[in-house]
Amino acid sequence: MSTVLDQIEQQIAKLSTKAVKKNTGNIRTIADGVAKIDGLSDVMYNEMVAFPGGAIGIALNLEETEVGCVILGDVSKLKEGDEVTTTGKLLSVPVGKALLGRVVDALGNAVDGKGPIDAKETYPVERIAPGIMARKSVNQPLFTGIMAIDSMIPIGRGQRELIIGDRGTGKTTIAIDTIINQAKINKVGLASGDAKFRPVYSIYVAIGQKSSNIVRTVAALEAAGALEYTIIVAATAADNPANQYIAPYSGAAMGEWFMENGMDALIVYDDLSKHAVAYRQISLILKRPSGREAYPGDVFYLHSRLLERAARLDGKGSLTALPIIETLAGDVSAYIPTNVISITDGQIFLETDLFNQGIRPAVSVGLSVSRVGSSAQIKATKQVGGKLKGELAQFRELAAFAQFGSDLDAKTKAQLERGARIVELFKQPAFSPAAIELQVSILFAMQKGFFDPIDAKKVVAAAANMKNFFTTRKDALLTEIRNKAALDKDLEAKLQAACDEWKSGYTA
Amino acid sequence: MAAAAKQAQQLARQFFKLSVVDNVVSTDRVAGVLAYVEKHAPANAVLVLKAYHRLIAVELAKSEARVEHAGTVAPTALAAIAAAMTKKYSRPITSTARAHPALLAGLRVRVGDDVYESSVSGQLAALALSV
Repeated sequence: MSTVLDQIEQQIAKLSTKAVKKNTGNIRTIADGVAKIDGLSDVMYNEMVAFPGGAIGIALNLEETEVGCVILGDVSKLKEGDEVTTTGKLLSVPVGKALLGRVVDALGNAVDGKGPIDAKETYPVERIAPGIMARKSVNQPLFTGIMAIDSMIPIGRGQRELIIGDRGTGKTTIAIDTIINQAKINKVGLASGDAKFRPVYSIYVAIGQKSSNIVRTVAALEAAGALEYTIIVAATAADNPANQYIAPYSGAAMGEWFMENGMDALIVYDDLSKHAVAYRQISLILKRPSGREAYPGDVFYLHSRLLERAARLDGKGSLTALPIIETLAGDVSAYIPTNVISITDGQIFLETDLFNQGIRPAVSVGLSVSRVGSSAQIKATKQVGGKLKGELAQFRELAAFAQFGSDLDAKTKAQLERGARIVELFKQPAFSPAAIELQVSILFAMQKGFFDPIDAKKVVAAAANMKNFFTTRKDALLTEIRNKAALDKDLEAKLQAACDEWKSGYTA
Repeated sequence: MAAAAKQAQQLARQFFKLSVVDNVVSTDRVAGVLAYVEKHAPANAVLVLKAYHRLIAVELAKSEARVEHAGTVAPTALAAIAAAMTKKYSRPITSTARAHPALLAGLRVRVGDDVYESSVSGQLAALALSV
C-alpha cells in the first residue's frame, strides 16, 4: 500500500510547481483528417501537436496566418475553436524486437489484441537517410525463394527492388514469399549455431488495403511460421489518409532500428500507389498546388526520402526495401510508376498475360532488372543460372519468330524446347519458396539436360518430384551446397550422381 | 477566389504595417486606415478588413497578458506579471484579470499564443496524461 502511495507522491513531486509554457492555437476548420489552426506561432515543420481528447497531429503547412495539420487518430470529437498545443517533439514510434510477431497501426500501437507492446526505444518517423560515407556496396544476397528472381533478378541486402504490375498479378504474393523465405532461412541458420549467421527480420507495411486482405496475409505468415520474425504495420483503407501517409515512414523507422543495431531487415511497402493517393488527398485538402495527375509537386520527394532510407551501412546492418506499385493496364509510364522506377535499384515487372497463361509468378524477364546484378548472387547460382536470362530472352524472340513458319532447323527447335522447359521450371506455387541450395540443384539438373527428355507439360511435376527427392534423400548434399555456396568439381560430381539417381527412379 | 483572398491578405498586411509603431498598435493609425478604406473602398473590402482585423487582433493579444485565476489575485501580482512579461517579450505588455473557477487554484497567463500554466487543473491534466 505504502509503495503505491510512494509512487503517487514521486509522480506529484516530478510535476514541477513552476509555470509550464505552452504554445497554443485554435482549430479554425477541420475536414477529412486535416485541421487548419490559428496561432501555434512557435510550431516547427513536422512537429507533433496535441489535440483535445488525446489525438495528435503533424504540422505540415506553416503559412502566414494559419498552420495546416494532419490528424492521426479519432477526429470525430474535434470541433472548431478547440485548443491545440505544440509538443516540441517529432512523431516517434516504438521500435525493437518486442514488435516482432505483432500487428501495429501507423503509430506503433498494437491492433492485434495481444496486449500492449513492451518496446524500450522509440525512433522518429521522419529521419534523414544515411549519407554516402556511411554506406557500403550491396553484395550480400537476400534470397526470395522464387527461382525466377533469385537466378535472374537477384536482390541484395540493402537494395531497393520495385515489384510492379497490374492488380491481381501476384505482387503481394512475391513479397509474402520473400518474407516466408527469410523466416525459413532464419530458422535453419539460428538452429545451425553459426556465429556468423545474420537473420533477416521483416516488416510488412499495408497501406490502404482492405482489412480482410491484411487478415489473410497475417494468417499466411502465421501458417508458414514467419510471423515471429515479422512486424506488420497496418494502415487499412478504413484509416484516415494521414495514417496511410505516415505508415511507411513508421515501418521504415522500425526497420532502421534493426539496421542501426547491426541486424538485417527487409521492408515491404504494399503499396506506394495508394500511399501517393493518400498524400494527394491530404495535399489537396491543405490547398497545396497540384501538378500532374493532381499530385502535389513534392510527390517524388515523398517516395525518394522514404526509399533512400534503405541501405547497407558500413559496420552496421542493412535495410532492404521492396516497394510495390500497382499499374493500370500495364502502363509503366504513368507518373508514380516512373517516379518509383527511377528511385529504385531495379524492378520486378509482373505481366497479366503471363499470369493468365498460368506462368506464376508472372515475372516478365525482359522488363525486369536488378541493377545490383550478379554481385548479390552466390557463386553456385551464377554457375548454374548465369546464362538463363539470355537463354530465356533468346527463347522469347525465337518463339515469336517461329509463329510465322513451321520449318525450323534442329538448333532452333532445341532452343525452343529448352526455353519452354525453363519457363515451366520457373513456375512455383504461392507461399512455397525454395531454398537456394534446392534452386541450385534444380537449375543444375536443367543445365545438364535432365529435363530435356520430359514432355514440357510434365516439367512442373518432374521438378516437384526432384525437389522432393533432394529434400528427403539428399539433405547432406543440400547442406554442403548451402555451406560452400559454390560448385566445385566434387560437388558437381555429387550433384550429377544425385540427378542420375533421380532420373533412374523417376517415371513421368 | 483564391487570388482575391491572396490580394486581400497582401493589402491587409500593408495596412497592418502602417498601423504598428514601435511594436505597438497605434489607435490613431488604425483610425486612419479605416478612414482610408471607407473613402477609397478597395476591391473585396470585406476580405481586406477581415484579414486586417485578424492581424490586429493577433498583435493586440501579444501586448496583453490575460491572467485567468481561481480565487483572488492581488493588483500587485498583476502588476508583477505585466512587468515580468514586458521584460520577457521586450515590448510593453499590460495585464488583465479574469476569474476562471475551473482552474481550482493557481493562475494561467496567456500572452498571444503562449500560455503559462500554473494552475492545479493544469497539473492534474498533466498527471492524468503521465499515468
